[in-house]
Amino acid sequence: MRFTRLRFLIPVSCLLASEGCTLQGAPSFPVVGAYFPDWMVCGLVGVAVAVGLRVIFLLTGLDAILSFRLFTYVALGVIAALTVWTLVFGP
Amino acid sequence: MMQRVHVSGKKPIGIIVAIVCVGVAILFGVHVSHEDSAHPSSDSGSIDAEMVHVASTVGGRLKELRVVVNQHVHKGDVLYQLDPEPYELIVRQAQANLDLANAEVENQTRLLSIKTTSAATADDQVVRARTNRDLAARTVKRLKPLAGQSYIPWQQYDQARVALHDAEVSLSQSKNQSVAATTAIGDLKSSLAARDASQAALDHAKYELRQTVVTAPADGYVTSLRVKAGEVLAPSQVLFTLIADDEWYATANIREINLSSVQIGDCVTVHSMIDRHSPLRGHVESIGWGVLSVDSAGIARSLPIVPRQMDWVHVAQRFPVRIRLERANPLLLRLGATATVEIRHGAACP
Repeated sequence: MRFTRLRFLIPVSCLLASEGCTLQGAPSFPVVGAYFPDWMVCGLVGVAVAVGLRVIFLLTGLDAILSFRLFTYVALGVIAALTVWTLVFGP
Repeated sequence: MMQRVHVSGKKPIGIIVAIVCVGVAILFGVHVSHEDSAHPSSDSGSIDAEMVHVASTVGGRLKELRVVVNQHVHKGDVLYQLDPEPYELIVRQAQANLDLANAEVENQTRLLSIKTTSAATADDQVVRARTNRDLAARTVKRLKPLAGQSYIPWQQYDQARVALHDAEVSLSQSKNQSVAATTAIGDLKSSLAARDASQAALDHAKYELRQTVVTAPADGYVTSLRVKAGEVLAPSQVLFTLIADDEWYATANIREINLSSVQIGDCVTVHSMIDRHSPLRGHVESIGWGVLSVDSAGIARSLPIVPRQMDWVHVAQRFPVRIRLERANPLLLRLGATATVEIRHGAACP
């Protein structure tokens, strides 16, 4: 079951992670000789999702009906980060 | 009413979206945090194995070195040999001492036999002296009435009495000599003990000679070997370290707040960072019972060291969890390699 979810996620992770299509493996990512933990990748995904959604919502005009935009986008980013953790790294 | 909505948020749908998003994020966060602490993991673990510091109990010149650094050896393989000559000489010396002791035992056995015979002779002398004394006594007894009635001269009676006295002295002397000869027999105890001591010395010398050949105590890899043949080693001086490769372990430090969810025997996924795509399967073998913390450090017999300043926020103590790895590709297993450890989840624990 886990693997099907992973396979579904691989195209997404190809876009998001600097590692490319190699998210499977240890929950620790080598970048120029240093290991970065999995939660840091999740955080980057969260930031990227928040920024991306902001751009998309601005373009589609959805942004106009939102209020408390800072809290909303931060919450959306957090949800995205936690989703990645649950699906890819979590138990 | 309209004015109040206008002042606080302008768009009710935006407020609802914001509240829903923040609420979902908080609940999700709590759930993930709970899941994370129920399935502890560490990305600062390390691959671990047992090792033997290879040394000989005797010293000497390194005569022959049969291994090179990073070589794999099997249990019982000869690793190196020290110059055996001094130890062979000691064995020869000990053998000669043993021969000497054996000869001394034979010598003492002969002496014992001679002394036993002497004692028997002394006993016979006692019998002879007693017989003589008895004869002299009977003679005195017979002559006494004859001398009293003047059938024989007094001179003859006196001579008989002197002969009796003489025989009594001889008997007493021979008894003393017999006691002395019996006491002088002795036994072989001291020479036998000397022989046993020589035998033990020889066995010890042979043991030391055997120790000049050092064999591998376990299967493993030779590491930190930096010398060549010719090096002079002191007794018990470590020549190199042998990493045993029959059992491999991973050690991960887990926070104390998560230790309650770690059970002995739990399935563990370990990734050696030598190849981070190959999961290794292992099981929790034990959890460390103690670590030295800075707050409790101090000299055992002195007073406790208690710092005056204290932190308001305390970082959780971590304890080493020892994980026994199942059979794995040997290329992934190097002592000290970085390892990520996922307890009760991960690729190897479906």
